[in-house]
Amino acid sequence: MPSLNLDAPVRQSMFDALKGTWTDRLLLCLALISIFTAWFVIQAQIAAGPAMAEIYHGKTLLATYPLPKPGEAAISLQVEGDLGMSEIVIDEHGARIATSPCSSQRCVLSGAHSHAGDMIACVPNRILITLRGSAESKFDAIVE
Amino acid sequence: MNHTSHKSIGLMRPPLAELETKARWLALLLLAIGLHVFEASLPSLGPWFKPGLANLVTLLALVMMGPRAAITLALARVVVGSFFIGTLFTPTFMIAMAGGLTAALVMIAAWRWIPGISLVGISLLGALSHMLAQFVCVEALFIQQAALYYALPPLLILSCISGWINGALAEYICARLAHEKI
Repeated sequence: MPSLNLDAPVRQSMFDALKGTWTDRLLLCLALISIFTAWFVIQAQIAAGPAMAEIYHGKTLLATYPLPKPGEAAISLQVEGDLGMSEIVIDEHGARIATSPCSSQRCVLSGAHSHAGDMIACVPNRILITLRGSAESKFDAIVE
Repeated sequence: MNHTSHKSIGLMRPPLAELETKARWLALLLLAIGLHVFEASLPSLGPWFKPGLANLVTLLALVMMGPRAAITLALARVVVGSFFIGTLFTPTFMIAMAGGLTAALVMIAAWRWIPGISLVGISLLGALSHMLAQFVCVEALFIQQAALYYALPPLLILSCISGWINGALAEYICARLAHEKI
């Protein structure tokens, strides 16, 4: 265990300090490799298929909607969370929370999302919207 | 005239070194609370992402005063900070508490047991564990969906960057403090 002194790793400048030790660099490499591997695995899982928005409240999947193509009508729905009703709009720009009873309104301010892996979470109201599937695939024919 | 009472009060005065330690801890706590409130007022950089400057103070408390000071500072910072931003016992408070405490524990473990690590590496592990703990807290208490974790990788990369820079800042601050013998 290192001692409690202040001068254990004394460095002259911020630039020197940014270099870190070999242990620090090894830890950074391990962390980055793990993160990128997880990222690719997740992307491979959720990027397949047409673009869909999934809406959850707590443990429950409430609804799954395809993202409308340009020119198609927008979908607007009211979802009941722990605090009250959140209004969710799904249009050609993606999914967004239009109104929310929460105090911070961070979910509303985060705007519309349309990329696979994006999500909008309103933690106080326990509402989650996740997006999966690629936006491009909605222009392709889907053969069943 | 009986001076016994005066004398006993004089004798009960705590030693200067103890007072200095307490004053230093309080100074760090005030700095941490200030940074906590400042970070809460920043525009959102993404869901639950903050630069982690308040955690930098936890790291300073750890190297300057030891593990107990770091844990109590992280706890006190989240509780008192939430008085100022009005989030006591809200989900924001729980998420901040989970992140702050986990980061403090992980940084203590890294500082004790990983050989050759500097404050940069400790801060990196602290930042990563802070972000992970926030997601685990949300998944356990509020939105029980594994889909939440899909958003984690890009945020963890941002955590790597912020953790590394904060660690370098902590090294620089410690070196300056040691140099000036504060």
